[in-house]
Amino acid sequence: MSSPIRSSISRSTSGFSLSSLWVYALLSAVSILIVAPLLWAVSSSFTPNDQVYRYVYPFSLKAFIPQTFTLSAYQTLFFEKGFGTAILNTSLLTIGTVLIGGLINLLAGFAFGVFDFRGKNLLFGIVLFTFMVPIEVTIIPQYIQMRDLGWINTWQGLLVPGLANSLVIFLFRQFFAEFPRDLLDAARVDGASWARILFSLVLPVSRPVLVGAGLVLFLSAWNAFFWPLVVAPRPEFRVIQVAISLSAQQVQTLFNEMFAGALIAALVPIVLLLPLQQYYVNSIAATGIKE
Amino acid sequence: MITKRENWIPYTFLAPALLTLLAFRLWPIVIGLSESLYSVSFVNAGARIFVGFENYLRLLTDRVFLQSLQVSLLFNLIVNPLQVLLALGLAFLVNQRVPGVGAFRSLYLIPIAISINVSALIWKLMLDENGLLNGLIRTWGGSPIAFLTSTEWALGSIIGIASWIGVPFWTLFLLAGLQGISPQIYEAAAIDGASGASRLRFITLPLLRRSIGFVLIADTISNFLLFTPVLLLTEGGPQLSTNLVMFEAYRRGLVYGDFGMSAAMVSLQLILIVSIVLAQFYLFRER
Repeated sequence: MSSPIRSSISRSTSGFSLSSLWVYALLSAVSILIVAPLLWAVSSSFTPNDQVYRYVYPFSLKAFIPQTFTLSAYQTLFFEKGFGTAILNTSLLTIGTVLIGGLINLLAGFAFGVFDFRGKNLLFGIVLFTFMVPIEVTIIPQYIQMRDLGWINTWQGLLVPGLANSLVIFLFRQFFAEFPRDLLDAARVDGASWARILFSLVLPVSRPVLVGAGLVLFLSAWNAFFWPLVVAPRPEFRVIQVAISLSAQQVQTLFNEMFAGALIAALVPIVLLLPLQQYYVNSIAATGIKE
Repeated sequence: MITKRENWIPYTFLAPALLTLLAFRLWPIVIGLSESLYSVSFVNAGARIFVGFENYLRLLTDRVFLQSLQVSLLFNLIVNPLQVLLALGLAFLVNQRVPGVGAFRSLYLIPIAISINVSALIWKLMLDENGLLNGLIRTWGGSPIAFLTSTEWALGSIIGIASWIGVPFWTLFLLAGLQGISPQIYEAAAIDGASGASRLRFITLPLLRRSIGFVLIADTISNFLLFTPVLLLTEGGPQLSTNLVMFEAYRRGLVYGDFGMSAAMVSLQLILIVSIVLAQFYLFRER
């Protein structure tokens, strides 16, 4: 391969490239938009409540660095407001949702993407339809249903209704519909069962969609707010988003506590998300383009 | 592909997810929407009476609802193309192979990790009259802007916040799509002398069609259902300028207790969303 061609495409896999200066200028501009509000929130969470607004006007960059460092907001959350229990509960629910939900949505998405069968369009229509009605609309009938099942204040009430996820089924379907049919047919001719084809032929090369689906399920469970609030109001079932909103709804809002709660809630997803970045880099490397 | 004898196989793959959806999502939806055919009796307080389509007819002359419909349409006409374009641009940007781009990619993932209510609360404090942004504007000698309390700015602010929350999320799916495109195709195009613009138009965008279709459809649905930022930041105001249909339905049902009208609004909006999504599916169909 001659080098001019290689160098003209090596910087970008998107089919076009910008000059480095422009790339860095744009990257930095977006970064400021994303980071500034968060940095302010983080800094405020380590600041005594009466000083949160001190450097906002006249504005000083000190607003982004705690001038009087304190952990009091965090201590209150953990020792007085039960954040420890909330984190544990949320973690258990999230693990259950990602594993069980991941499996059942994978199976459904695979069926929609690969098979032709009677009623396919109708059933897929139902899947999309349920995605178009938000929980706020159905909360009363759903509450009655949970009460009749005896699932109020139970783990199954918190977990089961969130397992099937239309968005995740849709995502899997889009991905599997593009999977080369010839490969599937070849495996069929060799006598492999469909379950075997899915788990040993298709899944190993489905990393992008698995990551995307896992992420959607993870976030839906970790950030769940309205459903846990209604279906499991007892403190021993409290989840993290409910705990945050309860501390934000006090008579006098304690900004530092609110920000601290937000930071704790965001920390776990962030720590889990950052390796995803590495995963994207790997998938570029796997394509064989090296600088 | 599947033989006659194996007709049952697709249904066994579908059963666990679909049965869960039918029991815990579809059934409550049907019950909830059928509420739109009932009204609360004024004479016999608390009693439900069947009124057929009367709630729907009332909606057609309900000025507050009609205005919320207008706000919702305007909002979605702006926010959906905006978010898809921004997400596409961001995906291209973080896919550029420059040193250190990985750090930026990590940074851009952060808003995804933050729940909508927390993001909305942070932005409320950012955009508040005495918030960080106005502090900055005043320090630089400008006069403060009523981001959330003026009819000129409020809807724009909601669009901005919804995009701050949404764009990084959708970028992730488009980036995955971009990285699924084999580099050999670009090499071949480069050998043939294709320019950057024509590579973008004839290779990248067609191959991204499925990803863009997914993002546009899913994003449209989520934006029609957007609720939390309005609840926490503007409560539909000022002068109903941010009163999206979802918020009006919430207010009519859970605040004023008129569940019939509330369900009728949601049903009408549902018909609207279904029509738009069908059109989008048609636009992105296999050719």
